[in-house]
Amino acid sequence: MTTPGTPPDPRVELSACRAEIEQLDQKLVALLAERVTLGRRTAHLKRAAGLPILDPQREAEVIRRAVEAARQHGLPLEAVREVFWHVVGLSRRAQEEIP
Amino acid sequence: MIIITRPDITDAQLDHLRERIEAAGLHTHLSRGEHRTIVGCIGDEARLEELPLRSIPGVESILPILKPYKLASREFVVNRTVVRVGEHASIGGHDLTIIAGPCSVENRAMLMETAVAVRSSGATILRGGAFKPRSSPYSFQGLGREALELLAAVRAETRLPVVTEVLDTRDVDLVAEHADMLQVGARNMQNYALLAELGRVQRPILLKRGLSATISELLMAAEYIMANGNHQIVLCERGIRTFERATRNTLDVSAIPVLKRESHLPVIVDPSHAGGDAKLVAPLAYAAIAAGADGLIVEVHPNPEDALSDGDQSLDFKAFASMMSRIPAFAIAAERSFQAPSWREALVGAGIA
Repeated sequence: MTTPGTPPDPRVELSACRAEIEQLDQKLVALLAERVTLGRRTAHLKRAAGLPILDPQREAEVIRRAVEAARQHGLPLEAVREVFWHVVGLSRRAQEEIP
Repeated sequence: MIIITRPDITDAQLDHLRERIEAAGLHTHLSRGEHRTIVGCIGDEARLEELPLRSIPGVESILPILKPYKLASREFVVNRTVVRVGEHASIGGHDLTIIAGPCSVENRAMLMETAVAVRSSGATILRGGAFKPRSSPYSFQGLGREALELLAAVRAETRLPVVTEVLDTRDVDLVAEHADMLQVGARNMQNYALLAELGRVQRPILLKRGLSATISELLMAAEYIMANGNHQIVLCERGIRTFERATRNTLDVSAIPVLKRESHLPVIVDPSHAGGDAKLVAPLAYAAIAAGADGLIVEVHPNPEDALSDGDQSLDFKAFASMMSRIPAFAIAAERSFQAPSWREALVGAGIA
């Protein structure tokens, strides 16, 4: 809603930014759901192959890769690490729940 | 155990080191200082026995931590923790921090009046109980949600960040929405469900020592919150139960230097609950600062005689101002500083601080 000569109202842009963030959050949750579904599938495959569900080595690799990516994006590494332990935990718990 | 890395360790080497430890099923915690970086290992250390840790590039030395608390221990981090409360206050730096306010929030007028009074005497954080853990089920239990809203309103007007107690895991999010710092009361220090929940909150925690808890148990309670992800914790000594009945509790002054030796977390003292008597508040406060405390939490009421809870131990405005006027001398003696309220008030008034 800007007319020539008047500076744009930051509140208008703020609400647009917030709307965009909300959409991103929805996508993030959808991606998490997809990740959990994939995790459940790997649980079945691990069982079929006679492998243990908990695989710390694999989890550590996931974390390292996430940290490397975070570094490239200039994000705070420890915070991303923390978030990814939660993501890994989400998937692990879903795998453990499967009978 | 903790791993001390070489000063020239690269990011890639650090990533590799942490991946090796995490692949063994342990978690790592990084603490960076100016000259060295420490990698703390949390979990079953027996699993690290087969790992050639010393030969991993970037590792300088390995130290075991024999204490049951790891994240809370002094060895685990390079620098002492400074906990930020709200936008302008912090606890654990060179300056002492004074928290003051009524035991429980009774109404808006008394809260506002108290906030303005304690701020002009030099307090930088407002306390006020919304949910009260009373020893008797028939005592006043606090205003609950209404008090939280009053606290948030007074914070907006006075710019004082607020701390209030959370009693129940179900209220954690609600209290976190309204307060800048959440308090775990002495009676809840070993409520592990509550501690775990507070580990997930993005708010600093004021953790009070239990009435019969040892120093080690207090640090284990802090460890519980930290292990769940929240490292912003202030420890609070508030008196312990002893055979002495002349005072409500016995202030364990020696806990202050011991906690500072054992942990990197800030330590404050509650002289109001320790003595249970308004006349004891000032001397206990001075003793706490002399012993190295990072600050105080003090109960102040406009008219202690009419207080709905803990009137006997609350200071009126005059007594609080008189106590505060002597704090700078004790701060200097303890090699700390305490900002005189006069110019801080001016800054607040000018909207700078």
